[in-house]
Amino acid sequence: MSNIPEAPAAARSAEQLNADLEKVGSARDREAFGRLFKHFAPLVKAFARSGSPLAASHAEELVQEVMIKVWQKADGYDARKASASTWIYAIARNCRTDMYRRLQKFDTPLSAEDIWPDNEGLELFTSVQLQRDATRIREMLGQLPRDQVQVLAKVYLEGKSQAEAAEELDLPLGTVKSRVRLAMAKLQLMVER
Amino acid sequence: MIKHHPDNDILTEHAAGTLALAPSVCVTLHLDSCEQCRRQYRRLQDLGSALFEQQPQEAVSAGLLDTVLARIEEEPEPLSYRQAGGDPDCPPLVQRLMQRDFEHLDWRRIGAGVQTCNLRTGDRKHEFALYHIRAGGSIPRHSHRGTEYTLVLEGSFSDESGHYAAGDFIQRDASHRHAPTATRDRDCICVGVLDAPVRFTDWRFRPLNPFLRLHAH
Repeated sequence: MSNIPEAPAAARSAEQLNADLEKVGSARDREAFGRLFKHFAPLVKAFARSGSPLAASHAEELVQEVMIKVWQKADGYDARKASASTWIYAIARNCRTDMYRRLQKFDTPLSAEDIWPDNEGLELFTSVQLQRDATRIREMLGQLPRDQVQVLAKVYLEGKSQAEAAEELDLPLGTVKSRVRLAMAKLQLMVER
Repeated sequence: MIKHHPDNDILTEHAAGTLALAPSVCVTLHLDSCEQCRRQYRRLQDLGSALFEQQPQEAVSAGLLDTVLARIEEEPEPLSYRQAGGDPDCPPLVQRLMQRDFEHLDWRRIGAGVQTCNLRTGDRKHEFALYHIRAGGSIPRHSHRGTEYTLVLEGSFSDESGHYAAGDFIQRDASHRHAPTATRDRDCICVGVLDAPVRFTDWRFRPLNPFLRLHAH
């Protein structure tokens, strides 16, 4: 085995990954798990390394934790409700949060799963609608200007607040906030009440 | 009917995992009872997953898959740890923070008919407190030195700006001055999260101001 990534031709489609995750859940299928690992482990590692430097040095530990959780929780996965990618991203965010807190000796009676419970309490019908929104978000993200994506990435991938993002990019906070708003508007993620 | 919601910035920070722990608890409690915000939260999490997918991949060491497979083999699968039991009317998240019965918490009186107690969340920048306001009682008039998040767990209260019922999420900034009053028909129980101590503006309580500290732990 080597560290060279496989040719893109070997990449699996979103539908195939969803099916793999269902097979892990229903049949404890190790080959399907291996395919998920090959696709997601390098993404989880990148996610770990873009977070705080403290956790970045434990990137492969995070990959292990996340993939073990994927195995353990796969029987609760329902491809009609969420893509494998959304489902695994949520686990990665939770594990990374718990890991930061452990490393900082942040002593709390709560775990990430108390804050972000697995069951979102959404009806199947609603989840199916939201899946369509998710596809749209994915497509539109590619059309956003670079500076807007950069700010979103600081927040979601690097775990920075908007104020921290502003400081790092050497921009006024107002500029960062307006980039986030513009991006959210284009992604149709502004709430109107 | 829930009328007061966290704004999009707060929901985004919650979905991205950048919101501090104590305010995040309030958002989670709000999501428990607000379908509209649950949908929006899910969309914002989907945005996170779209960004996650776009990252350049980082190769993992050879043999990491084997290590994971071996650990799956060795480690017993954890049982679901979300314990049942306790009062069905009290959200499990709050029960977890109370760690004992509601009546046996360390209640302190503030004003007539109001009791409060601090709960430990581990968030050292935010005080997390429960408020129990007897029917018709009020919290002495105060303003804020920082931001206050309030989540109504039970009953309802009013202040100069509106009426708030179970599930409502209210964010107040420093300038706001108010005297929340519970409705006369029943007690009101709220969660209050502060990042700086309040300042009483009611003359009877003003002398306490220099001694107020943030109980963040």
